[in-house]
Amino acid sequence: MIQAVETNHDAGDVATAAGHGAGATSRTIHVRVLRQDAPGQESYWERHAIPYEPNMNVISILQRIAATARAEDGRSVAPVAWDCNCLEEVCGSCTMLVNGRTRMACTALVDRLLEDNSEEIELRPMSKFPVVRDLVVDRRRVFRGLERVEAWVPVDGSYDHGPGPRISPEDQEDAYPLSTCMSCGCCLEACPQYTKIEVVQREGESAEAFDARRKAAFDRGFVGAHAISQAMLFNAHPTGRMIADERLAALTGEGGIQMCGNAQNCVAVCPKHIPLTRSIARAGRAATVWAIKKLFDR
Amino acid sequence: MAQPRVLVIGGGLAGLAATMRLAESGTDVDLVSLVPVKRSHSACAQGGINSVNALTRQQGDNEWKHFDDTVYGGDFLQHQPPVKEMADWGPRIIDLMDRLGVPFNRTPEGFRDQRRFGGTLYKRTAFAGATTGQQLLYALDEQVRRYEVSGRVKKWEFWDFLEPVLDASGRCRGAVCQDLVTMQFRAFPADAVVLATGGCGLVYGRSTMSMVCTGSAVSRAYQAGAWYGNGEFIQVHPTAIPGADKLRLMSESARGEGGRVWVPRKPQDPRDPREIPEAERCYFLEERYPKYGNLVPRDIATREIFDICTTDGLSVEKDRLCVYLDLTHLSREMLDRKLGGILEIYEKFQGVDPRVVPMKIFPAVHYSMGGLWVDYQKSSSGGLEEGDPKNQQTSIPGLYAIGECDYQYHGANRLGANSLLSCIFSGLFCAPSVIASGAAVRKTSAEESSRLFDASLRRQEARHESLLARRGGNENPYDLHQQLGGLMTRVATVVRRNEQLAAAYDEVCGLEERWQRCSLSDTGNWTNQNVVFTKSLGDMFPIAKLILKGALLRDECRGAHYKPSTAMPGIAATDPVEQRREAEEWCDRFEANTRKWLKSTIAKHGADGHPQISYEDIDTSLIPPRPRLYGLVGGDVIEEVWRERQRAAGQAGETSPQPVAAGA
Amino acid sequence: MNQPEPSRSFLSRHQFLIYRLFSLSGLIPVGAFLVVHLLTNASVLGGPESFQSRVDMIHSLGPLLVPIEIAFIFLPMLFHAAVGFAIIAGGLPNVGSYPYVGNVRYTLQRATGMIAFAFIIGHLIQLHWLGAPLRGSEGGFDPHHATSTAAIAIRPLLVSILYAIGVLSTVFHFSNGLWTLGITWGLWTSPAAMRRANWVSIAVGVVLAAAGLGAIGGLRTVDVAKARGVEDRMDEVKRMLKGEMPIEEGRSPAVRGTSNSSLPNAGPVSSEGT
Ligand SMILES: Cc1cc2nc3c(=O)[nH]c(=O)nc-3n(C[C@H](O)[C@H](O)[C@H](O)COP(=O)(O)OP(=O)(O)OC[C@H]3O[C@@H](n4cnc5c(N)ncnc54)[C@H](O)[C@@H]3O)c2cc1C
Ligand code: HEM
Ligand code: SF4
Ligand code: SF4
Ligand code: FES
Repeated sequence: MIQAVETNHDAGDVATAAGHGAGATSRTIHVRVLRQDAPGQESYWERHAIPYEPNMNVISILQRIAATARAEDGRSVAPVAWDCNCLEEVCGSCTMLVNGRTRMACTALVDRLLEDNSEEIELRPMSKFPVVRDLVVDRRRVFRGLERVEAWVPVDGSYDHGPGPRISPEDQEDAYPLSTCMSCGCCLEACPQYTKIEVVQREGESAEAFDARRKAAFDRGFVGAHAISQAMLFNAHPTGRMIADERLAALTGEGGIQMCGNAQNCVAVCPKHIPLTRSIARAGRAATVWAIKKLFDR
Repeated sequence: MAQPRVLVIGGGLAGLAATMRLAESGTDVDLVSLVPVKRSHSACAQGGINSVNALTRQQGDNEWKHFDDTVYGGDFLQHQPPVKEMADWGPRIIDLMDRLGVPFNRTPEGFRDQRRFGGTLYKRTAFAGATTGQQLLYALDEQVRRYEVSGRVKKWEFWDFLEPVLDASGRCRGAVCQDLVTMQFRAFPADAVVLATGGCGLVYGRSTMSMVCTGSAVSRAYQAGAWYGNGEFIQVHPTAIPGADKLRLMSESARGEGGRVWVPRKPQDPRDPREIPEAERCYFLEERYPKYGNLVPRDIATREIFDICTTDGLSVEKDRLCVYLDLTHLSREMLDRKLGGILEIYEKFQGVDPRVVPMKIFPAVHYSMGGLWVDYQKSSSGGLEEGDPKNQQTSIPGLYAIGECDYQYHGANRLGANSLLSCIFSGLFCAPSVIASGAAVRKTSAEESSRLFDASLRRQEARHESLLARRGGNENPYDLHQQLGGLMTRVATVVRRNEQLAAAYDEVCGLEERWQRCSLSDTGNWTNQNVVFTKSLGDMFPIAKLILKGALLRDECRGAHYKPSTAMPGIAATDPVEQRREAEEWCDRFEANTRKWLKSTIAKHGADGHPQISYEDIDTSLIPPRPRLYGLVGGDVIEEVWRERQRAAGQAGETSPQPVAAGA
Repeated sequence: MNQPEPSRSFLSRHQFLIYRLFSLSGLIPVGAFLVVHLLTNASVLGGPESFQSRVDMIHSLGPLLVPIEIAFIFLPMLFHAAVGFAIIAGGLPNVGSYPYVGNVRYTLQRATGMIAFAFIIGHLIQLHWLGAPLRGSEGGFDPHHATSTAAIAIRPLLVSILYAIGVLSTVFHFSNGLWTLGITWGLWTSPAAMRRANWVSIAVGVVLAAAGLGAIGGLRTVDVAKARGVEDRMDEVKRMLKGEMPIEEGRSPAVRGTSNSSLPNAGPVSSEGT
């Protein structure tokens, strides 16, 4: 949540000389940001004008906005709040709606966006998560999904027990893409079956009680493609498989795999190109077999 | 005794490894991080993680050689026992990460595959696609999530560490942190505090590091009295991709697979690079290092790029160092197969296909070898005494530092793929020491403890309020940061000159002055990123100052620290006798330099705000220092002389000291 | 979603099972019925005889037909529709922002489900015995005069168009549903298998659409009077076989009937429909 901001294109390189080269264009980029000061408050649009520079992405636009802290009409305004960290699409922080579509802001190149719409760039917070402020949303539910499906290898502990199981290159190649999931939430944002859950702390409610209530609310909603895919990742791992039944129990519980309506938006928007629908179908198959087995094992 | 409770600040590889081990040992852990731990900077590491393995062992490799490569690559500027211990743990750590489910690349038979990195002759590097750091981080994140579910670990994500809380005896008893959403302050009493807050790339403006790598946490510990070691050693990576917001790494493997580095012979040739004929291109690495060509190690490649751009003025772009990294002569199929992932990054951010158009690349600040000074307890076998409270402890008792934010493992220069190892190692290894230290804590009465924390809380609240209340100041924190970054990048990266460093030091003091007059554009008390950034900027100045001062005082060349005025040129003579004489002289000078400078730089925060620099001898008891002769003219003669001297001194170590090409 | 209740309802505890039964019901029996129904109807292209003989086959179940219809068609369909509406209410279609093929299909699946629902209700009211109280004694389907009664019902252009829309929607819903069902149950998991399955479901859809439209076309073009004659004759034969009518007598009234009865309610309204 800390944002360092560069106001000039040159500063960070190992530069031999300061200052800009010739031929700086005087084009202006118009940006429209949907802002909200705090949870429960009204949202409002604010327009900003940013001088164009080559190689910009949406993050650098937000950095410029923070540095100038002025709206297009010259009013001084508080900087727009947003999340980011790695700036190379591996940390999953910077998800937002750019021109109406969910994506990572750090790979949203301005030149490309202007090709599609040279008039303006529109930024909005994700719509399936409660807004904290401006473009910052509360994505705890994404991580809760990982807890629900026990997305981990249940090792005995971290002391030495020799190497892990041998794994064929095919299995590694199958697992690796799933393992690149950065919990960005794009797949959840675009999913028509995943709807917003916003729990508000009650008067006099303790932090713990609130937390428990929120978790319970999350646990009744759809887990989403992200967690389903992680469950499949660990159910395919030789050790992870040892609690496959627990994961399937979670996936067939309320808000489980059955909530998926096969719109396949998730796979279309995943910035990591994770084969989510394959995971979903595999989870469907595993759930089928598991449910039938359970029926007869009772 | 009450249930032990430890506070871990930072959830990158190091912090998560420590948390996992602590929780497993039955200790309750509060884990504080600026970002959700899964989003920590460690996710950016691409290349891999080093350790000896079954395969390299059969080729003659062993833990000692890994240890040797690491200290040699680091120009002997690290205490050797911790490095030895780390190398010894390497195989176990890879095994552990393998068990935790990291999808390491596999051989057809199902074993872990390995690749070779700079600075070694062995294929020691295990890797998981092009995202090894991400995979390692996730495996630990998952284990910590397990403990979170079981209640052992409590995460405080989107929280900022503000200061360690010390008792009257100077022992750390916890910390004060701030919620980045509600802006509330909170005291975290703890038996011990572990800092795992990563590097400080943002002191240089833009770097290859993530946006939370401000070094603020380390700076706050330093300002509270913790010593800082080897601050001036900053690694600059030769090949990064420019960006308006950050500099992204272009992996060494692009050169490994045949990429060629060149500049047009005509300065700032405006033509499309594809149109520039061979004869008008200068393949300067291949010309200057016919043997190694484009695969010279990091520090050398960086320096050569710097040189061709500044001394020869041949930079592709006028304003900054920039050269072409050309893959266009290689087959598309091969590129996709071997480099697909990293080429996509270039394409994604530059919008240009590097298979068709040569890439423009730049050197960029990448890693800080320096960090909080930490202690260790040597064991009788030359490694470390496991569980001794001194291991990884900073100069403040009860305050520990691990991962990139300690100074312990990489000396003057880090070898590729060694950092991930040092992070996980120090995280795992510190746990019993932290517990032992916590157990020894004298119990404080609730009253005494609340008095301690109240004072800290009040101080932090006051600082916060005064920042918010500052009106009418005309300084913009973002502008100041940019100026700081530009300045540091200019004077304290590849080539350092005393007059520049001295002037820069004054300039930084001036910027720090001006920081006092920053006024905020957001004075609210809800998710105020403006004030959080301004605070962390304020805490960058002490780090910048100690880097500059350390660099200024260190009059030698070592690893990443290069001062042309103190460089030791190779041998000029051609006549064998004369050559021999020069080599003897060279070795004399080397020995004298080692005696004078083979010392850790220790910076202590002075009451006046200036760093006080002192030096500490280095434990080189296991492997005697020897020269790095890489690419030096007449290196073979010097080596001969050096060996004779070693033999004469009867100092044949366990390995024959053989100056091999060391990568960075 | 503000207060999670501590005790979970039966429906939420058994959500998975319900959704799977819902999915299954789309295929068996509702889908299977749809296929049989559409193919039966298409047999009208082979002439009134062939259609009539198929209808007769179905009605040979006699008194069992009503309970079978209720247990295996109406109740499953109601269940499928009820859950279907609940699912539709829980979703948040967003084709506007994400106009991907899969998403369009997702949205169409919902839209066609609702159209199918409306269509089926209308269809029942118009032709089925269930709808008899609603439509009065007029109209309806006479299983002994299958082609003619159906043809008369569907003749008006507007009705034909509505039927075409209804049939196409239902067919899309079913064949696209087949494809998603395969994912739901994990029959096809890899993208390649999904692509192959998609071809299969398209083929099923094309065949059923052809059958459905063919039936409408057939009913629109059939000569009702002639069909009536054929039906009467067949009816006579049936009755004679059942012994309801002496064999010698049976022939002449049927022949007579052929020439004059083009009225919709010319025959007795049967208590069964298909
Ligand atoms: C692009 C790139 C590629 C790399 N590739 C490799 C490689 O291939 N092999 C290799 O060995 N090394 C590599 N490295 C180096 C390696 O990635 C890092 O050194 C290592 O990840 C650091 O891990 P860490 O746990 O120390 O800290 P980090 O992962 O940086 O984590 C720091 C943590 O501290 C928290 N934090 C920081 N400040 C505060 C504060 N004030 N309050 C609260 N929390 C705070 C952060 O939120 C974060 O959780 C690479 C580095 C870069 C930049
Ligand atoms: C002719 C009658 C019908 C047939 C043959 C039929 C068939 C099917 C089939 C095979 C599926 C796929 C199930 C799956 O993906 O697992 C399906 C899905 C669906 N049906 Fe029906 N259906 C019929 C009527 C209806 C009606 C009347 C509604 C109510 C509006 C409806 C609503 C839905 C919905 C919403 C889905 C999508 C469920 C999801 O993907 O999550 N259907 N149908
Ligand atoms: S599956 Fe893809 S879109 Fe979903 S959270 Fe993971 S990386 Fe993001
Ligand atoms: S396939 Fe399922 S999880 Fe993915 S977007 Fe569609 S409904 Fe959501
Ligand atoms: S900032 Fe990490 S994904 Fe965009």
